[in-house]
Amino acid sequence: MEMPTIPEPRMEKIGVDVAVRIPVEFEHFVHVEQVLGKDTWTIDLGRSNAAFFTQLFGHMFDSVIVLGPDDDPRDHQFDALIEPSIDGFEFSTPGQSQSEAFAVWIRYRMSVFDSVGNRASSWTVNAYGKSQQEELGGSESLKRAAVLAMRDAAALIIMQMERATNISQLANGPLQPASTESDAMLAGAEQESEEPASVIGIFAIGGIDDAAE
Amino acid sequence: MRQSKFLVIFIAFSLSGCITSRIEDARENVTGLNDGQSVVIMAKSYHQGNETEGDYLTCIEKALGAGSKGISVVPHQKFIDNLFPWFEPRTAPADTKGLPALMDRPGVKDAVRDMGVRYVVWLDGDTERVAEGGSLSCAAGPGGGGCFGFAWWQNDADYEAAVWDLDANESAGTVSADVSGTSFLPALVIPIPLIARTQTRACKGLAQQLRAFIVQ
Repeated sequence: MEMPTIPEPRMEKIGVDVAVRIPVEFEHFVHVEQVLGKDTWTIDLGRSNAAFFTQLFGHMFDSVIVLGPDDDPRDHQFDALIEPSIDGFEFSTPGQSQSEAFAVWIRYRMSVFDSVGNRASSWTVNAYGKSQQEELGGSESLKRAAVLAMRDAAALIIMQMERATNISQLANGPLQPASTESDAMLAGAEQESEEPASVIGIFAIGGIDDAAE
Repeated sequence: MRQSKFLVIFIAFSLSGCITSRIEDARENVTGLNDGQSVVIMAKSYHQGNETEGDYLTCIEKALGAGSKGISVVPHQKFIDNLFPWFEPRTAPADTKGLPALMDRPGVKDAVRDMGVRYVVWLDGDTERVAEGGSLSCAAGPGGGGCFGFAWWQNDADYEAAVWDLDANESAGTVSADVSGTSFLPALVIPIPLIARTQTRACKGLAQQLRAFIVQ
């Protein structure tokens, strides 16, 4: 399946050099849910989320470095480190909502750290996407709803990130001298990963009844 | 026998159900479309509870652009992508009061000018089945099959198009289409569908009136 693409936004870039660290569970996000006791939907976002955020931050900031799970942030130069994660995922089918639409809700969390690992902010983004079934099959409609939810998240992040996180202030230097919190940044997303990650895939694989459709 | 079956099918496709329609417009300002100017058709956001069907929007786009008097229509997805993120379902302006601020955002006015968009048409409404009745039974066996009975249903297509003038940053007016159609399906061995194409009629009626409204 094609990765969702974010069009180049009409905005002025934020003058910050950022690093983006994609947690492993974020990059391999699979959500399995049984609907109404019969349909089983498996939604695998795969690498779509990682590609989506890399693309988005590339448009928003002066420069972006993508850090892998094993990369040491101290080896790189940046003003701020952003670690996205998924706090929650839900979807509804036409059978559940008594409508002709699939809907997807994704709750992202943006954890922002300064250049030495102090947590600057933690911001929740609630995104929503809806797609009419029409000629599309169930899987395609759910996939489209998930893509629209991701675009919704992108729009929210573009419009509100500066106001919610004051990330541009980090271009002036770290918040405070290096502290013990820097270990949390180096350790990666371990603290964040204590929360269960729900997985959603844009590549929707329908259940029993979806095959019948 | 084959000829009579063909005749029945031909008659069925020639006939249609009953349709009543009302198309109106309410003008607020002068309109007109110069050479090189275009319109874009958008569905009001589902964040505002709108459920306009995607294929209805596509129908309006095609109908407006068709024929010798067709007007230039920019595909809505191209418009949305070129102005990302300012016309997403969450961020699209709900009324013309937000237009001046939107046009002042970096790159927005240039993008609108490059696409040549003069008017944005916001579609609101949908087609719903409001009543139905009757019953139809079909059976098939080794010797043949058939249907018996009578079914009917009524669809209402109620749409409104709000026309925004991006040059003047104000509303130009609204065009509305209210179409009600009743379809019948009598069956005596062979079902004879008499379908009222309610949504199609609403599309053509609205598009025709929109063209007249915009071009003046």
